[in-house]
Amino acid sequence: MNKLLKIFKTKIYFDQYLFISITLLSIMGLIFLYSASQGNIETTIKQSFFVVLGLVLMFLLSQVDPDFYKNNASFFLILSISLIILTIFFGKEVNGAKRWLDLGFFTLQSSEIIKIALPVFLAAYLHNKPLPISLLNTAISMIIIITIVNLVRIQPDLGTSLVIFIAGLYILFLAGLSWRFIGASFGIIILSLPFIWNNFLEPFQRQRILTLLDPTADPYGSGWNITQSKIAIGSGGIQGKGYGSGSQAHLDFLPETETDFIFAVIAEEFGFIGACILMSTFFFIILRCFYLAVNARDRFCRLTIGGLSLLFISTIFINLAMVVGIIPVVGMPLPFISKGGSSLLSFYIAFGIIISMATHKKLMQK
Amino acid sequence: MIDLNERSKEKKNFFNRLTIVYLFFGILFSFFIYQTFSLQVSSYTDYEIASLENKTREILIQPRRGIIYDRNGNIIVNNKPRYNLILNPSMIEDIDKHISEIENIIDLSEKDIIFVRENFKSKAKLNREIVLKQNLSQEEIAKFESRRYQFKNTFIEERYSRENIYSELFSHSVGYVGDLSDDSLELILKDQGLNPKETIFKYSNGYLTGKTGLEKIYDKKLRGYFGKKIYEVDASGKLLNEIEEIPAIDGEDLYTSLDIKSQKVAYEQLDNRRGAVVAVEIDTGAIVTYVSSPSFPINAIANGLSSEEYNKLANNNDKPFFDRAGQGRYSPASTIKPAIGLYGIENNIIDWKYTIDDPGFFVLPEDNRVYRGWKKGGHGKINLMDAIIESSNTFFFSLAYKSEIEDLVDHLSNFGFGRNVCIDCFIPDSGLLPDPEWKMNKLNFGWFKGDTVNMGVGQGYLSSTPMQLAYYSAFLAKKGSLDRFSFVQNVASKKDSFVSNNLTDEDWENIHKSMIGVIENPKGTAGRLRNLKNYVVAAKSGTVELVSTETKEDYKIIREVEGQRDHAIIIAFAPMPKPKYAISVVIENGESGGSVAGPVAIEVLNSLISNE
Repeated sequence: MNKLLKIFKTKIYFDQYLFISITLLSIMGLIFLYSASQGNIETTIKQSFFVVLGLVLMFLLSQVDPDFYKNNASFFLILSISLIILTIFFGKEVNGAKRWLDLGFFTLQSSEIIKIALPVFLAAYLHNKPLPISLLNTAISMIIIITIVNLVRIQPDLGTSLVIFIAGLYILFLAGLSWRFIGASFGIIILSLPFIWNNFLEPFQRQRILTLLDPTADPYGSGWNITQSKIAIGSGGIQGKGYGSGSQAHLDFLPETETDFIFAVIAEEFGFIGACILMSTFFFIILRCFYLAVNARDRFCRLTIGGLSLLFISTIFINLAMVVGIIPVVGMPLPFISKGGSSLLSFYIAFGIIISMATHKKLMQK
Repeated sequence: MIDLNERSKEKKNFFNRLTIVYLFFGILFSFFIYQTFSLQVSSYTDYEIASLENKTREILIQPRRGIIYDRNGNIIVNNKPRYNLILNPSMIEDIDKHISEIENIIDLSEKDIIFVRENFKSKAKLNREIVLKQNLSQEEIAKFESRRYQFKNTFIEERYSRENIYSELFSHSVGYVGDLSDDSLELILKDQGLNPKETIFKYSNGYLTGKTGLEKIYDKKLRGYFGKKIYEVDASGKLLNEIEEIPAIDGEDLYTSLDIKSQKVAYEQLDNRRGAVVAVEIDTGAIVTYVSSPSFPINAIANGLSSEEYNKLANNNDKPFFDRAGQGRYSPASTIKPAIGLYGIENNIIDWKYTIDDPGFFVLPEDNRVYRGWKKGGHGKINLMDAIIESSNTFFFSLAYKSEIEDLVDHLSNFGFGRNVCIDCFIPDSGLLPDPEWKMNKLNFGWFKGDTVNMGVGQGYLSSTPMQLAYYSAFLAKKGSLDRFSFVQNVASKKDSFVSNNLTDEDWENIHKSMIGVIENPKGTAGRLRNLKNYVVAAKSGTVELVSTETKEDYKIIREVEGQRDHAIIIAFAPMPKPKYAISVVIENGESGGSVAGPVAIEVLNSLISNE
């Protein structure tokens, strides 16, 4: 028995903190989803299947040596880009957006894959470049990032393209992007905001931003979602209305209860207490990632763990901030909670990679 | 290869940068937590209310309007049930099939079918009912009821329409109901703390409100209070289930003092001539008869009239919509004489023995203008009682000449002239009791002595409504103490007493005696009425001159035009010596108070007194 445990500890790469908290989060997610989907058994079972698949995938990916990811990063990136291009031509159109590839048994949201592949690639590309990162390397990285972001943006999928963009930037920043470059970029971005507003945003996206500024101006138009979401959250109070008793969620006042607005359902039914429990779980995972990133075995692992965990944090923040009405509405799932196989699997994959990088120790090099 | 120094520098750099981003997100998340806290804890109450308002919908329940009764408990205005065929669209799958099945038993109009087809889907989605056919006949109801097992989601529903049992008798007194404007509805609902949204109607024509007459005056009492049903709804507004019902409180019934029988007699007696009858119970001031003629069909007005029919009524020269009883202004003419006589007694200008020599005219000393009586050669030596019985103008010209206009105006005001004498009349008119100030303001002329002289025989600027004349009549009967009039029984009303230090009961008795003499005395001006009744009536007739003429020949010329003929007028009270009812009758261009207005008054009194 002891021997078995010893083998397990030496041969198996496993982070019990992340594994337990993610499993816990996944179970909470299934419970929430059941209510948010109006008690739809089919949706819940399908999601459970992805959760189990995801956990297995996460475990398997954490067994792989980090060098494998580093050496094959380019291959994964090219594969992901191919999937994106395939989607642009052969994707399934839903509500005017071509984001899904129909694989028969599963519709794959290809942007969810590249969301992981790009940071890993950039980490692999930059891990041996001297500090600070040279202008040439910065330029090459930026061209890759912007190309991919634009491929996703034309689907159109503003939310994911935004996340991919910042995920790329995180790696650049963590890898040692020069402060001078950062300062200059900020200046340019601020100056070009009006240009972006006029040329890069669709009218409905502009409307979303305007709505955020004053949702009450048009409560039954584009402000409806935000207004109803705030009512749902606010009326949950401290203790919540009880599981399955959220009137905002169950009487169709709340939009997209299973995906983007699932936090509003949780806050309505479980109140501030429920929201805090959920947040604590997220914070635990986030802080654990910080610890693992700082103590990773080499620069590639550090960059990858740091980048992927910031990707995770950003996704959570964008979703939550949107639901409570402090940023405009962008399509963004809540990791491990929202319905959607691709997004769910992408985060299990990300954490599989994180655990792999955190647990494979290497002897000090000469 | 990066050396060791470089490595630790890189590691430190990474640590710093990751910390910066984490701190940045720490700040962002604290915004989020603050926002969640403020939504769920600080503003919880606001959002709880918003969520409650979201998921509940109040549907108002219309109250039933009160029934209006006459003084004997007979119904004047009722709520007549009508039957509508309604569907529950959310439970019906194939509407075309359903309609064709119903058409097998009940004829449906093209319009109804189109309406149902157009609204079926939206009503089904919201779980609302839809009216398939209005106003089913008894036969249709029977046919449907016998096959109702075939139609689980179709019902017959009862709705009311407001109906006056008597089409034309109460048009000006009870009045009619009509549509309630949105603003008024909002006010009524605000009063009850409700919001106008949707309503379950009890009346086929929707929200009702009193537009005229008692329906208007007692609208609040008759109206009742809206109830409500509270439903749980989803975001689309579909009714899910009923949470609570607060039933409507039906309006209170109104027990009026009106008497259907006398009303009918008055209406028939007037026989579409232009005129009015007002009769009251003297002890209580309760109005028992109130008819203005010609009248109009009241239910047709309340329930919708074609514009052609409406225009015909509105453009009729006899003005059927005009309430002559409450708003028509007529000179009291000779009916004023008992009041003028009492003025003379009260102010010690004359006494009952005082006589004058009546040559048939009065000459105003100031300008030698001649004021004529109706009888050529005059009434000779005459006292007050005979002057009333024979209706001597000269006697009252000379009495008025001796009076002070300000005192005379005060005196007549006590009898109801120039005042609103009714507490619950619809737009009551006060007539006109002129005084020097009025004349100066209105006509920019000073008051002449001749104006006072004219007032002595109830001509000139003085004018009164039939309602005021009835009040005056009752005031004489009650000897100077009378409640203001009202249409309902047992209304606490303000007593209007005529305070006099100088008038004795004997003076009042003498006035009664004089007015009895108007009918019973061989010289009386209304002797023709003597045999129309079997009790004693006190009366005073009057003839309102519209065009001033010197001779009877002149009058014959002007009477060729009907509108120039004199108005006939009479006031009366009976049975003497203990009068119970007082009455006034005006018939426009009727020419003779005694023989034209008089019989109408007697017939109405007959119907009231024989009732007892």
